Amino acid sequence: MPTPTTRRRAFALAAALAGAAALSAPAASAAGRADIARPASSGVHLQQAPSASGGKTLTVATNGSIDSLSPFLAHRALPTAVHRLMYDFLTNYDAKDDHPIDALATKWTTSPDKLTWTFTIRDGMKWSDGRPVTAEDVAWTYNLMMTDDDAATANGNFVANFAKVAVDGANVVITLKQAQSTMLALDIPVVPKHVWESHVADIGKFNNDAQFPVVGDGPFILTGYQKDQYLTLDANPNYWRGKPGFDHLTFKFYKDADAEVEALKKGEVDFVYGLTPAQYDSLKGQANITTDKALGKRFYALAINPGATTKDGQAFGDGNPALKNQQVRQALMYAIDTKVLVTKTLGGYGTVGTGYIPPIFATYHWDPDPATAYSYNPDKANQLLDAAGYKKGSDGMRTGPDGKPLTLRILGETNRPDDTQNAAYLTEWLKAVGIGATTSIVDQGKLGDTETAGTFDLAFDSWTVNPDPDYVLSIQTCDERPKTPGKSFAGDDFICDKDYDALYQKQITEYDQAARAADVKQMEQRLYSDAYINILYNANSLEAYRSDVIGSWEKQPQPEGAYWGQDGYWSFWSAKPAESASSSSSSSNTGLVVGIVVAAVVILGGGGVFLLRRRRTQTAEERE
Amino acid sequence: MSITVPAPPAAAATPPPPGGAAAVRRRGPAIPLRYAAGRIGGAAVSMLAVVFTGFFLFRIVPGDPVRAMTRGRPVDATQLAALRHQFGIDKPLIAQFGDYTLRVARGDLGTSYQYKSSVSSLIGSHVWPTVYLVGTATLIAALLGLRIGVRSAWKHGSRSDRANTGIALVLWSMPTFWLGLILIVVFSVGVGPIPGMFPTGGMSSPDVHGLLPSFWDHVRHLVLPCVTLIAVIYAQYLLTMRATLLEEIGADYLTTARAKGLRDDDVRRKHAVPNAMLPAVTLVFLNLGTAVSGSILAETIFSWPGLGSLFYEALTVPDLPLLEGLFIFFSAAVILMNLLAELLYPILDPRVRTS
Amino acid sequence: MIADFRRRRAGMSGLAFLVLIAVVALAAPLFITSHDLSAVYAPGAPRQAPGSDFLLGTDGYGRSMVDVTIWGARISLTVGVLATLLAVGIGALVGVTAGHFGGWPATVLMRVTDWFVVLPVLVLASALAAVLRPGVGTVVVAIGVTAWPRTARVVRAQTLSVEARPYIERAKALGGGHLHVMRRHILPNVMPLMLAQATLTVSEAILAEATLAFLGLSDPTKVSWGTTLQLARQVGAVSANDWWILLPPGAAIVAVALAFTLVGRALEQVLNPRLQEQM
Repeated sequence: MPTPTTRRRAFALAAALAGAAALSAPAASAAGRADIARPASSGVHLQQAPSASGGKTLTVATNGSIDSLSPFLAHRALPTAVHRLMYDFLTNYDAKDDHPIDALATKWTTSPDKLTWTFTIRDGMKWSDGRPVTAEDVAWTYNLMMTDDDAATANGNFVANFAKVAVDGANVVITLKQAQSTMLALDIPVVPKHVWESHVADIGKFNNDAQFPVVGDGPFILTGYQKDQYLTLDANPNYWRGKPGFDHLTFKFYKDADAEVEALKKGEVDFVYGLTPAQYDSLKGQANITTDKALGKRFYALAINPGATTKDGQAFGDGNPALKNQQVRQALMYAIDTKVLVTKTLGGYGTVGTGYIPPIFATYHWDPDPATAYSYNPDKANQLLDAAGYKKGSDGMRTGPDGKPLTLRILGETNRPDDTQNAAYLTEWLKAVGIGATTSIVDQGKLGDTETAGTFDLAFDSWTVNPDPDYVLSIQTCDERPKTPGKSFAGDDFICDKDYDALYQKQITEYDQAARAADVKQMEQRLYSDAYINILYNANSLEAYRSDVIGSWEKQPQPEGAYWGQDGYWSFWSAKPAESASSSSSSSNTGLVVGIVVAAVVILGGGGVFLLRRRRTQTAEERE
Repeated sequence: MSITVPAPPAAAATPPPPGGAAAVRRRGPAIPLRYAAGRIGGAAVSMLAVVFTGFFLFRIVPGDPVRAMTRGRPVDATQLAALRHQFGIDKPLIAQFGDYTLRVARGDLGTSYQYKSSVSSLIGSHVWPTVYLVGTATLIAALLGLRIGVRSAWKHGSRSDRANTGIALVLWSMPTFWLGLILIVVFSVGVGPIPGMFPTGGMSSPDVHGLLPSFWDHVRHLVLPCVTLIAVIYAQYLLTMRATLLEEIGADYLTTARAKGLRDDDVRRKHAVPNAMLPAVTLVFLNLGTAVSGSILAETIFSWPGLGSLFYEALTVPDLPLLEGLFIFFSAAVILMNLLAELLYPILDPRVRTS
Repeated sequence: MIADFRRRRAGMSGLAFLVLIAVVALAAPLFITSHDLSAVYAPGAPRQAPGSDFLLGTDGYGRSMVDVTIWGARISLTVGVLATLLAVGIGALVGVTAGHFGGWPATVLMRVTDWFVVLPVLVLASALAAVLRPGVGTVVVAIGVTAWPRTARVVRAQTLSVEARPYIERAKALGGGHLHVMRRHILPNVMPLMLAQATLTVSEAILAEATLAFLGLSDPTKVSWGTTLQLARQVGAVSANDWWILLPPGAAIVAVALAFTLVGRALEQVLNPRLQEQM
């Protein structure tokens, strides 16, 4: 028979649990605050509280992640974009057509032997702590990356060819090991020497998020960062090109893309980017929302394994040998209907792939002659495959000269839904011309493994291209193949074509832009006919913003570029608040009120049930 | 529930927590030492196994996080090699295991690839939102589940019992993430006459200031993820409470009690419920594993800045040290809670102690 | 016993529903052609709303959601059943061994079982699915390897109670080996309980399949309820309010998981006389 004591203990435990859980709520918010209240965020609050009331805020939804806020360490796209806003670079890209323009440097000259570049640093620029921006800051930043391996983590590739960086009055003098045509595309944030000197010792560990506001000289000053929650910036009132139109810029972190879209619809955020076609369609025609379909900076390609080799030509991996045959590769391209991929996978938001450099970069983009361009033509694919010696069997599937059936493995990535969809289309098209196909869609890590091991036949491949095409061109050269079999390599697809490499060397030393563009186009032509790396399409960059918050802002390049992912800070710097920004706040207030009411009902629901029960038992007892 | 305690002697009328504590003290060493030592030893062995599993689970198939981390970035071969070295994955597996064991022994869980900061500090900064969410959800689910479970059992077979059990089973059969998505569509976006009234994600808005507004802001953000999580764990409380109580009801002493002419209500409140409470309350601790799993999904859907979304993020890279750290942390939390339940059980139920 | 089960309405309706689903899933190839599920020759336009052409609209490829949901049952049920077979297999092996032999093997086995019970299942399963090659097989293994402990416990308890029966003593005295006793006497007695456990495990496995698919750890090229939902989410069907893509697979999961649970509970009650009194 249970004693009252036993029962009381059970209640004690229940109550203790309840107490613990109830305590945990305030404790959690307190702890959350304590977490912000490290030197870092006490700064946020001090900074923000007075100004936030007075200024206009532009809120951006992002599902990007921040690996580090140190310009020396950050690899991810989001921190790189934020660094654009925080720090000025040596040069910038024009908002209209992406050509290099002045930034930290007001002018530049080159020596006749092409090996010395002299940049004159802008006079009168100031860091946000009032100290002047000097040539010394530039040289110190570059030199640190040249001498310290940890400092080279993120941008070491830009200074790899530097022999010496020196200061000469207001000039920075850079001496190169060999000529380099990309000197006006050094995307390196220049940091204040007087602030960063003390962090040199632990530069590989310092994430630049210890003290806010972060001293910078860009159009915005970083004022706070709360991991996975938000990142806040304030307009730099003294920015030399002019003060930004919005006083505050906030990035809000989302893990779920649909949540971002809903947040935009409700006015919780003012700008979303990276929309899927379905999301974009759902935002079209909504009140107070402007959608934008921009040309994308990204290419989406089908990479064909040429048979993995190291720099010394040692073969490894198990790529299908049939793919060494150019006819087979070209047959694949005739078997694929890229138009269908654009209309179905992209919902029509994109252009059919042609040259390696996307059409948004008009200077370097190349289009094949329509007469010889790959187009959907299964008959031609069949002819080419027959000619290459892969005969169709009685079951309609082809076998090679060695008697083995021709089956290819398609490799894609989980986080890129395009891959799954496109693989489904590809499988059916390949089957139609007698080629078997299997698909594996894997996470980023495993994709990297399979690529490095060279154990794939076809892989979906996508890169973002910069206004200067050098990098994406470099990854297809012989030198970028791995040193040892199966080890990480900087290249893309084990391609090694001597003619292509010769052209690559030619363009990197060509300082005349028109001549260089001609070389680049020739390289694209080469890649196209080799058919190892085949651009399937260039997807549009789909974005949307609140037109009741943002009145006007600039695209880059114009008129078809995007607001997000610019190679400058133009959109956020030029954004002007809309005239009447009142409608959104009132609607969010209604939402707030309704929300509070329902929240109260739901949260108190449990309590309500309790009280009700209590009443009932009490009355029962009273009746006794 | 303490309201239902019938007019007791003065001492017993003290509020439950101190009363309970006092009762424990009076009994002297409540937990037999051997029993306690055995349980603690068992937990320690489990923990060791978790630490070893944590390593081999994630490293036995070598991943190449370097390529994933630098995706779409201009980097050259030197930078890649430096990164591999920095991550410590250029060493053979056995050397990596040595590093790992030494680190973990020192309480150092390593450095996250994608955040470039220590795993311990990442867990430290993400643990409170999770405790806050899981704690609130567990509290509400337990109160509702246990309460309704009692009613269901007492009136088993009735229409309300069938309805309650049915609802619980449906909720139990629902994929957590799907429920979250549907809740977003209905209550964040709004469907038909229902306005979108809750935020779509996050734990708070950056631009809300002042004590009361920011309190409401927190509550508003909490509602949908909390409801999702409650739905996941609620059923187990209800069903367990119901089943245990049903067993109690069949027990002899209750028949005796009824035969003695005690009113049905009293039998329930004074005898059956307290005894059934024990296993049900223990379940609160034991269910932490389910709650953790549920919170991974709820946090991901609602962009809740806790350990769950950290885990999801880590899965996509894969961020090995972070995955290992979270695996160890989650398992440790559950093992600890289990240990706690096992140690508390004999204090609460003398029958266990004597047997 | 069968008559007893028949009396349980919830269990019977669950069973009837499952039989219906199983028949539809098995017969699916008869009325869904490869063209209906083809990406290239998809019958409709992508994400078409429900209408006279397509009762439940179309998915991201333009395939009928009715067809996709029915076809999804094949993979989801296969994964559920295979994972359950694995889980119950492991569980039965561990349970019977521990129950029959006792002593230190039992201690070790039950220690391991307890350890597995404690681990957060989703974390373990997603870790497994993340390191193994993605695919249906991996999902089966990940679920199977994490879902067996409960069966092991139940089976061990039952084995212990069977072992205590006099005829086992007799069989042992007559020189019946371990294998003989286990196969001829214990297994038949444990079987019904395993069946109940299995039924309950299937619904867990189906939920787990959907969850792993949602976390991107399954093979997205296979049409299952989980992958359909994951793809719908990836293409942004939630914010586009394409409810017809989200609702059917989710509802199907709920319905089937519920049906298995109902059948499992009913079986448990039929087999466990102690529970029976109470219902």
